[in-house]
Amino acid sequence: MKPFIRLRSVRYKLFVGVLLTSIAALLVTGASLMAYDLHNLKTSLADDLNTQAELIGRACVPALQFDDQKTANSNLALLQARPMIDAAALYNAKGAIFGSYSRAGNAAADFPQLPGDDAVEFDGENITVTRRIVDNNEILGSLYLHAHYNLYQRVRNYIGIVLAVSSLALLISLLLSTWLQATVTRPIQDITKVAQQVIEKRDYSPRAHKTTDDEIGYLVDAFNRMLAEIGTRAQAQEASNRELAREVAERKSAEDEIMRLNRDLEARVQERTNKLQEINSELEAFSYSVSHDLRAPLRAIDGFSQALLTEFGAQTDEKMRHYLQRIKVGTARMGQLIEDLLNLSRISRLEILWREVDLSALANQVVQDLQQRDPERKVTVSIWDNITVHADQRLLRVALENLLGNAWKFTGKTGEARIEFGMLQEGERRIIFVRDNGAGFDMAYADKLFGAFQRLHGMHEFPGTGIGLATVQRIVNRHGGRIWCQAAPGKGATFFFTLQAEPQQHGPA
Amino acid sequence: MDDKFILMVEDNPDDEEMTLRSLQQAGIANEVQVVRDGVEALDFLFGTGSFAGRDTARMPALVLLDLKLPKLNGIDVLTRMRQHELTRTVPVVILTSSSEDEDMARSYASGANSYVRKPVIFADFAGVVSQLGLYWMLLNQIPNGNRTR
Repeated sequence: MKPFIRLRSVRYKLFVGVLLTSIAALLVTGASLMAYDLHNLKTSLADDLNTQAELIGRACVPALQFDDQKTANSNLALLQARPMIDAAALYNAKGAIFGSYSRAGNAAADFPQLPGDDAVEFDGENITVTRRIVDNNEILGSLYLHAHYNLYQRVRNYIGIVLAVSSLALLISLLLSTWLQATVTRPIQDITKVAQQVIEKRDYSPRAHKTTDDEIGYLVDAFNRMLAEIGTRAQAQEASNRELAREVAERKSAEDEIMRLNRDLEARVQERTNKLQEINSELEAFSYSVSHDLRAPLRAIDGFSQALLTEFGAQTDEKMRHYLQRIKVGTARMGQLIEDLLNLSRISRLEILWREVDLSALANQVVQDLQQRDPERKVTVSIWDNITVHADQRLLRVALENLLGNAWKFTGKTGEARIEFGMLQEGERRIIFVRDNGAGFDMAYADKLFGAFQRLHGMHEFPGTGIGLATVQRIVNRHGGRIWCQAAPGKGATFFFTLQAEPQQHGPA
Repeated sequence: MDDKFILMVEDNPDDEEMTLRSLQQAGIANEVQVVRDGVEALDFLFGTGSFAGRDTARMPALVLLDLKLPKLNGIDVLTRMRQHELTRTVPVVILTSSSEDEDMARSYASGANSYVRKPVIFADFAGVVSQLGLYWMLLNQIPNGNRTR
């Protein structure tokens, strides 16, 4: 239902409220009063007319008894004294009109044919009264009265009064609403204004004025406190925002610094890499030189020592031969050292070619070579099958040559020499081992074992340069693995090593 | 033995002496021509420079070529040899101290017939030279009269 009053403001609502209330009250009061008044009027008129009819009826009794129409009419004519009665009719006992009266003089008033019962009927402004004339319990006849009263006039008057009063009420409403405004709506409007101001200018300093000490007053106080609170919070927010902005700026400059440092770092790394590459090339050149330039003089020393022995053997004595022999031993050893050092350096320079390598087959080859060089030796060799790893074939060959070669060498003085080559699985790790039952060594010196040129046995016991294990360690390390050992003097030694599980990205290894 | 001869390109006098001794001990009596560097080697082969006037129809049955030589190195000599019709098919054995894979690869790529390492220990050295001599001078066949055409 569309409201027929547009409720735009509190003041308007209040005004309309008061107005409607007043009007409603007035209308209801007016209507009830009018209804009551009219009812009373009707009742008193009815009484009055009944009494009148009774009186006139009694007066007409003799006329009826003696059948005196003339008297009857003149009795009826007395009704002239009553202006409200318009017409009257007298009926005899038989129900015929005996006499009549009409104010207007027109005898042709329409009287009912037959009289009805005792009744008073109102129809608009007309009243009809019917009354039996009874004398000594005998019905002599009936009297019919026809009257009028100014009902409509009365009603119009009433309405006029109500309207007049309503207008007055309107006026009073206006006054009232103005007064209400002062106490109710103005504080509310004030708050609204302040609120608008605050919203538009984002300025939390204005406050509403408290004019009354009621709920509105409380609202004003609450509103003001809230503004104060918001104001403080806004300030705090701003302060923290500024703080944040500062922090962000700081962080940004720190980030910039980091980027700058990173760039510097990159540059430095590049520089170092270049240097490293340079050094690597130098190393390669060095190795190359070594393999040529160191060997040639060595060859000369050995060659001419041998030539002395061969060509002047007859002129040499025991001591000379002994010295010459020692020279040859020296050169042989140096030759071997050069060989081993070159191998070691090659291991570091080589780029690993990752492939599936069958270590079992490789070990078999190495052992065959060893046996070929030493056909007289009887060694029980047990090589487990199907040991495949992901590695560089050439490097692993060198490693096995060293490990198996060592095992072969150090079982040289053992009666029933036994060498074993296999693989253990420890969870995710696969551990490859080379075991021998040869001379072994004291575990106390185990950490020296893998250093270059470190030996735990004298040259007179077992030949060797002490580079072999250093080479193996370097090979294992380049494959991302680890090497360790277990031994006891006289009980042999076992060397264990792992290689990395999964092939990685091929970076510098 | 016929008039097959060996050209040895070797700058080191010790190595030269020991090679000659070893050949002798192995009973290889062929003539050995020794040159001291790469330029001399080419001069000899093509009959230029200090060897101008040599009969270039007569080519060595074997060239023992060291890699590290003064002036022109072994690989360059080999390359030049393989470029000329005169010397394209002359057997060349690289005899060197180097055990570098790269040297070996380059030698073969440049057309060497064989690559042998010079051992440090004389006994082994003598053995190697003797085997080389016996193989290339006795077993290996070359076209008649050393003519390469």
